Amino acid sequence: MPMPPDLPNKIERDLSVGTAWLVVLATIAGADEPIHGYEIGRRLADEAPEGLSFKQGTLYPMLRTMEADGLIRSTLVPSNEGPARKCFTLTPDGKRVLGSWVATWRNTNRWVNKVLGEIDVRR
Amino acid sequence: MSADERIPQQAAGADPVRVYVSQLAAALDGSDPALRHDALVDAEVHLRAAIEAGTPAERAIAAYGTPAEVAHAYRESSGGGVIVSEGASPRPRPLPPGAPPDAGARYGLAAIPVIGVWAQSAAWGALLYFGGIGLALALFYFSFAVSFGTLAIGLMPTVLGLPLLVLLLASVRGLSLFEGKVVEFFLRVRMPRRAQPVAGLAQVGFWKRIGCWLRDVRSWMSLGYLVGNLPVSIVFFTVTFTLFCVSLSLLATPVFYLLGLPMFRNPGDSDFEIQLFGTLLSGPDGDGTLSGLAVVPLFILGLALMTGTLWVARGFGWVYGRVVQAIQVARPQ
Repeated sequence: MPMPPDLPNKIERDLSVGTAWLVVLATIAGADEPIHGYEIGRRLADEAPEGLSFKQGTLYPMLRTMEADGLIRSTLVPSNEGPARKCFTLTPDGKRVLGSWVATWRNTNRWVNKVLGEIDVRR
Repeated sequence: MSADERIPQQAAGADPVRVYVSQLAAALDGSDPALRHDALVDAEVHLRAAIEAGTPAERAIAAYGTPAEVAHAYRESSGGGVIVSEGASPRPRPLPPGAPPDAGARYGLAAIPVIGVWAQSAAWGALLYFGGIGLALALFYFSFAVSFGTLAIGLMPTVLGLPLLVLLLASVRGLSLFEGKVVEFFLRVRMPRRAQPVAGLAQVGFWKRIGCWLRDVRSWMSLGYLVGNLPVSIVFFTVTFTLFCVSLSLLATPVFYLLGLPMFRNPGDSDFEIQLFGTLLSGPDGDGTLSGLAVVPLFILGLALMTGTLWVARGFGWVYGRVVQAIQVARPQ
């Protein structure tokens, strides 16, 4: 049975779903003041490693779902350069959830690295 | 890579953001109009901000994602399809963004034909909205727009006239967005989360900005909607409230009968009586009470009429919700 042509991209696809929420929440948490969507997208794109890209167009529906779920809250901040911008901060629930996700990520990261450290794919 | 997955190629001279937005609109064809509207406004505002910040248009568009990728992300979020751990949802969402209206109407009691309408939140929401809240809000919007507009027009020969008119246009855009939220809450029709920006507001200069506001078709549409909403709301209120009151009075007949209270009054005529096909429905003493024989059919009639009223309210809600949604997502520019 031939391998499905998009199978090599599976891990990137699966990882991106979970990690996108984590990094977006972390970016909002790391900002000194309420941060708007464009700035979140710019920071994530700037910090993306070689070969990985964060599609900024996927950010806005994610922010809207996070807000509906009570993880973040938004305020409208007037801008001199155009319409008022929607800026985001974490809610107390958002902080609690981010804390638990960070712990999960670190544990997963340690575990995956441990497993990967023992294999040699060229063998 | 299929045709719709490619970053859009634009003809020489065409505005790349407009080309991208039109391709995204095509990729979202068939989606909820309010969701599609939000996606297009998000893309336009983001890409214009990126270009104004000095990023070349091609790079900004590439970083934003192909229309197919972005459309997929919006569709995923519309049905609550993005996976969130249980801990991440501290409270149930009242209406998932883009969920089909009356999503709850498909299960349990609400799925029963005809009488299931009694268990549909959209029907009760519409009854509440058209039975009073909608008219009260419409009266407020109308009074605000007409009094503010008259003041602005009256002061037009002075330096205050134009700024006041701009303030009115900005206010009605805000009110229109607020009305969308109210309609979404009561009628369960998804409304846009974002307002379309006023084109060219980034231009410096007070008078240029005023010019942008005056040329903004959306603001004038919002003003027209808030003014024109009053007669429509009066019609909906009259029909809904009359049907509701008649249904309620018929449903209350057993209570009046058991308490011996009069259901009707005809002062000065002690011989007054109600007959149906020769059967006496009114009480024997002409005191306005009903006979026991009349209570059961009148109660059943009340149940039927209330069921009809709920269907009428739900129908009004379906039509009105979609009209408001169409006005809010219109892209005249």
